[in-house]
Amino acid sequence: MAKVGVYVCHCGSNIAGVIDVEAVRAFAETLPDVVIARKDLFMCSDSGQEQIKQDIRDGLVDRVVVAACTPRTHEPIFRAACEAGGLNKYLFEMANIRDQASWVHPHDPEGATEKAKLVVASAVGKAKFLQPLEDKFVNVTDAAMVVGGGVGGIFAALELANMGHKTYLVEKEPSIGGIMAMLDKTFPTNDCSACILTPVMVDAAAHPNIEVMTYSEVVGLDGYIGNFTVKVNRKQSYVDWNKCTGCGACAEACPAKAGDEFNQGLNDRPAAYIQFPQAVPKKAVIDMESCINCAGRKIGSEPKVSKKTGQPMLAPCEKACPADAINRSLAHDPAGSIEEVNVGSIVVATGYKVMEKESFKEMAPESPNVVTALQLERIISATGPTGGKLLRPSDNKKPKTINFVSCVGSRDEKHHTHCSRVCCMYMIKQARLIKEKYPDINIYMHFIDVRTAGKDYDEYYTGARKMGINILRGKVGGMEILPDDRVRVLGFDMDQQEPVEIESDLVVLATAIELPKSATTLGQTLGLQFCGSGFFRELHPKLGPVETSTRGLYLAGCCQGPKDIPDTVSQAKGAAAAAAVPLAQGRVKIEPILSEVQPEKCSGCGICVPLCPYNAISLKEWGERPRAEIDITQCKGCGVCTTACPSSAIRLHGYEEDQIMAQIAALTS
Amino acid sequence: MSLKLKKENIDEAVRTIMELGGKGILNCVQCGACSAVCPGVKAGFPVLCRLLIKKLTTGQLEEIIEEPSSWGCQACNRCTEVCPQGVRPQEVVFAFRRYQANEMAISTSTTTSQMNFYETGHAVYTESSKELRKQVGLPEAPPTTVSDAQGLKEIQTLLENSPMGELGFF
Ligand SMILES: Cc1cc2nc3c(=O)[nH]c(=O)nc-3n(C[C@H](O)[C@H](O)[C@H](O)COP(=O)(O)OP(=O)(O)OC[C@H]3O[C@@H](n4cnc5c(N)ncnc54)[C@H](O)[C@@H]3O)c2cc1C
Ligand code: SF4
Ligand code: SF4
Ligand code: SF4
Ligand code: SF4
Repeated sequence: MAKVGVYVCHCGSNIAGVIDVEAVRAFAETLPDVVIARKDLFMCSDSGQEQIKQDIRDGLVDRVVVAACTPRTHEPIFRAACEAGGLNKYLFEMANIRDQASWVHPHDPEGATEKAKLVVASAVGKAKFLQPLEDKFVNVTDAAMVVGGGVGGIFAALELANMGHKTYLVEKEPSIGGIMAMLDKTFPTNDCSACILTPVMVDAAAHPNIEVMTYSEVVGLDGYIGNFTVKVNRKQSYVDWNKCTGCGACAEACPAKAGDEFNQGLNDRPAAYIQFPQAVPKKAVIDMESCINCAGRKIGSEPKVSKKTGQPMLAPCEKACPADAINRSLAHDPAGSIEEVNVGSIVVATGYKVMEKESFKEMAPESPNVVTALQLERIISATGPTGGKLLRPSDNKKPKTINFVSCVGSRDEKHHTHCSRVCCMYMIKQARLIKEKYPDINIYMHFIDVRTAGKDYDEYYTGARKMGINILRGKVGGMEILPDDRVRVLGFDMDQQEPVEIESDLVVLATAIELPKSATTLGQTLGLQFCGSGFFRELHPKLGPVETSTRGLYLAGCCQGPKDIPDTVSQAKGAAAAAAVPLAQGRVKIEPILSEVQPEKCSGCGICVPLCPYNAISLKEWGERPRAEIDITQCKGCGVCTTACPSSAIRLHGYEEDQIMAQIAALTS
Repeated sequence: MSLKLKKENIDEAVRTIMELGGKGILNCVQCGACSAVCPGVKAGFPVLCRLLIKKLTTGQLEEIIEEPSSWGCQACNRCTEVCPQGVRPQEVVFAFRRYQANEMAISTSTTTSQMNFYETGHAVYTESSKELRKQVGLPEAPPTTVSDAQGLKEIQTLLENSPMGELGFF
């Protein structure tokens, strides 16, 4: 007969604040097969765990039920305690009396206590039928992938590579660098963004363990932790990157025009272009969407021969290229070429986008002198459209009055309820940079409240006040376009309790940070979850900040939520450390809570095969006839197959029929 | 003098306003966007939208009962448009007005319009308009309730049976 020990936790006041713990303990004692029932303030503490171990060692118990907070965080802890005491760790069962009783019924202590008793009875019912199980292990591929080549992705890749793991760095744009590469200077030290980022980009590209795959996107994922197969689409650039030297001659010759993404659409770039001067790799691409097929050189065709000269008539880009790298005779393949890469773990660092000003009709988006903060970043950058001179877009004149508007689309239930976290700081940065260079410019900054919580950040803010930058507390309600391309800002001064109107030559909107649409598609491809704010969801907001609910997939940077560069880099290094664990161990554990087909019972009907959401089941020859077989590396233990099998041939270990029936009996008797 | 915050007063103020239609009052984060665009605030009625909400959520319901600002609201609803928290401040302003009316703390400017409305069916109806109409060749009385006794009677009946009538106004 099973000897079940029940341990009821107070969880401080989490459980005991609502539930009568002693009543639950006393009730547990009366249940069949229960030999001992104890309680503790914190069962997960050293002393609580020691009690379990001691009872096992003393031979008092051989099944353990802990009634406590939640298996999500604590099941591994108690399983380990059982193991340390000398008991198979799968002879443990958790009764979740916090999430399922005290937390959901805080105003009904008696009801909650009764419910907790039932939950415990059900766990005890199951416990006596538990059977020992063994962990399984599979080997891993010693390589990692980092998706997204912003500052987060670059640091994650460098970290993994430095630990000795082959790392693929996949970036959808022609160059790595992300948004940090677009910034002028960076708070709180005001060092030049390109100056600190470019060397790191070069390091990553030159690292013997890193393979940079730019102009590429992840389009498929198969496998599981330790053994992923990733499909990467390498977009067609029509330029042979082995030959291209990055001289830029094609870009100079190309007459076609399209909005320059790197300069936030403030100017045009040609169809043949290099993304930005410090691009890594510094290679040209031809963007077929904007190419105008000069000289009738349609892509994928042979050049026409000139009647006059008898020479082939080439497009300007082809002609200009001294390295002969452009080949317009290549057939156009919009799908690109697919490469399959095998890796053991994946870090996702796909970053963010800022909302466009067009989303805010009350902020006069039709005025060229209303710009987003990222556009201003390009306007004041030495590599930007004005060569670093502060000129307003409508007439290229120096503005006399500038207004900064915070929380545009952030902290707003019509757009995003979250705080975008970096705007206060980057607006103060931009205001300071402008004031330093042009002390005569009037600067007004409108904040709901100023959020500068970081090392040296508040000093940065008070410094801005000392420089004579005007700070107004109050959200801007709207704007009106005035003659001369000026803009009237309708603000509010909370301290004086007065509305204020400021005529402005240039208005800068700190628009919200959000996950780009492309990332949503990627998230679905990889099977990531999304949080309430629309970013990728981490495993646990406090204790699993870089992990995801899919083992082997990790998160870094702004794709997990808005953050600045210091936080992005810290998280990237953390994600790399977590992603390196399975690679360093060389094998990964698979929990045995998996389904198994009993071949002698299986009729080979195949009903389970299409039902399995993880494609884990296939029909295999067994004796003479086909039988279902489950691949343990694919099975997630969801149990769909067990319920579907007409011959009851499939067992889900850890959730066997007798165990479930005993739970039901305990709940209904 | 400093403000004394009392839980009972706060609860009562918030409950009163919610019951009278200002359901979003507790959503307010005091960002000030509503006041930035409110024509009433710009015209010098400070205790509208944001500040009215602030005073109510600190429990000053009775202290501001005679406040004339609320009667300056034009019901333009710009505040509702710009509020990032879905407070619908105009509804709070109107809820407060209802409270003021129930307590007979109605500004004189408003009583005159109410009486006008009862007597002519127009909140704004002046003698000078008769003159103007004549000048442009129109009959002195417009073809509305002013010259339609039956219609005016209907309006009066409606008003008498409304909460306004219960206040004993007419
Ligand atoms: C105006 C402005 C000023 C700022 N100033 C500062 C500052 O001064 N100091 C500071 O600390 N922070 C600043 N920040 C914040 C800073 O930009 C971010 O913290 C940082 O860029 C985050 O890096 P990331 O790698 O997470 O994302 P990103 O820089 O967005 O990089 C993500 C990369 O992933 C790529 N990618 C996206 N989707 C895919 C896909 N499906 N497949 C492959 N690749 C993909 C993108 O092309 C991009 O290269 C500022 C932000 C703004 C908007
Ligand atoms: S053919 Fe070459 S030069 Fe002409 S638009 Fe296209 S990329 Fe530019
Ligand atoms: S338990 Fe779920 S994942 Fe495993 S084989 Fe059955 S259906 Fe597939
Ligand atoms: S509706 Fe009233 S309170 Fe709101 S903005 Fe208009 S006048 Fe002001
Ligand atoms: S706009 Fe909305 S949240 Fe902001 S102060 Fe007005 S009512 Fe409050």
